[in-house]
Amino acid sequence: MTQAATTEHHTPVEHTTTGLNNRKLLMWAFLGSDVMFFGAFIATYLVYRGKSLVGPYPSEVLNIPITTVSTFVLLMSSLAMVLALHYVKEGEKNKGTLWILVVVVLGTIFMGFQFVEFREFAHLGLTPRTNIFGTTFFILTGIHGAHVTIGVIWMAFLAYSSNSGALRSDNALDLEIAGLYWHFVDIVWIVIFTVIYLISANDAPPPGMESVIH
Amino acid sequence: MASLWRKLTHHDGNGWWNLPHTASNEPNPPHEGPIGGAWLGNIWRIMTYGGVSHAGPGFYWLVGLFLSIVTLIEVWLFDIGAVLGGWYIPLLLILSLLKFIGVVAFFMHLRFDHRLFTYLFGASMVVGIFIFTLLLLLLEFGNQPPN
Repeated sequence: MTQAATTEHHTPVEHTTTGLNNRKLLMWAFLGSDVMFFGAFIATYLVYRGKSLVGPYPSEVLNIPITTVSTFVLLMSSLAMVLALHYVKEGEKNKGTLWILVVVVLGTIFMGFQFVEFREFAHLGLTPRTNIFGTTFFILTGIHGAHVTIGVIWMAFLAYSSNSGALRSDNALDLEIAGLYWHFVDIVWIVIFTVIYLISANDAPPPGMESVIH
Repeated sequence: MASLWRKLTHHDGNGWWNLPHTASNEPNPPHEGPIGGAWLGNIWRIMTYGGVSHAGPGFYWLVGLFLSIVTLIEVWLFDIGAVLGGWYIPLLLILSLLKFIGVVAFFMHLRFDHRLFTYLFGASMVVGIFIFTLLLLLLEFGNQPPN
């Protein structure tokens, strides 16, 4: 049973088995399971890295400058998220709502970058069915994109709640839990950006294989 | 020098790496900053927040700046990757780890939160990395034909 009491210093005290809020503990447990989930797809990508028998190959399609901008956008959305939580906890409703909306906007921009990237890849002839690089790349980044989409929808609801006054300093835990999810999406992208983009972007066609892009 | 080291690695009187016993909804111990003891904590307090919460907007902006700079360094390494040779991937992984820790410790508040959360998430990371490293090794070397 979870029951929040308040001390004379207005510090919520959790009367649970662990002394910690059960919902927050559950979110951390979920994030732990999501580590395994994304770990499986990242490991699968690495296992099949450089094993495509036909193009396009990573060096022909991955666009590092564009992805750097989208990575920066997602990092800044994490900054906006932590600022939003700070202001909601401080009871500054307008600033809190504004920063939650910034998270929504930046998350949407990131999704836009991903949509443009996927469309560009399709234009270059790379789809999930083209080769093993396409399959592992689209599954990994697509699932991450689905996480971002869920996060944006969640944040949009919280922005509405904050604006309407339903999200206040005394129930800021709702935003903190959503924030944990959002930051996790960010750290997964930190790994994807390094492993899939920066490390794999130089993966050229194997010897004897011709590029399909001219 | 020893005093500076102690201050840099100090947290709640038990050393920086000793994670808090208290949840993040409880205030910092007196004179405690986001990364260390009283001397450094006072500097951080002046620079970043009023000592009311664990860290304030100024500190979070600094972390955001740090993440941005590390990302730019990563892309710069990508541009000069051919010069780095075998150092390229290890350097990228180290920089990625720094960003990972920056977000998890400060944006996700594990630096200020009860140690149980850190143990829960850390255990998942350790098990995950162990299993998938084994998988990679197995698939890399497990299919070798016998001599």
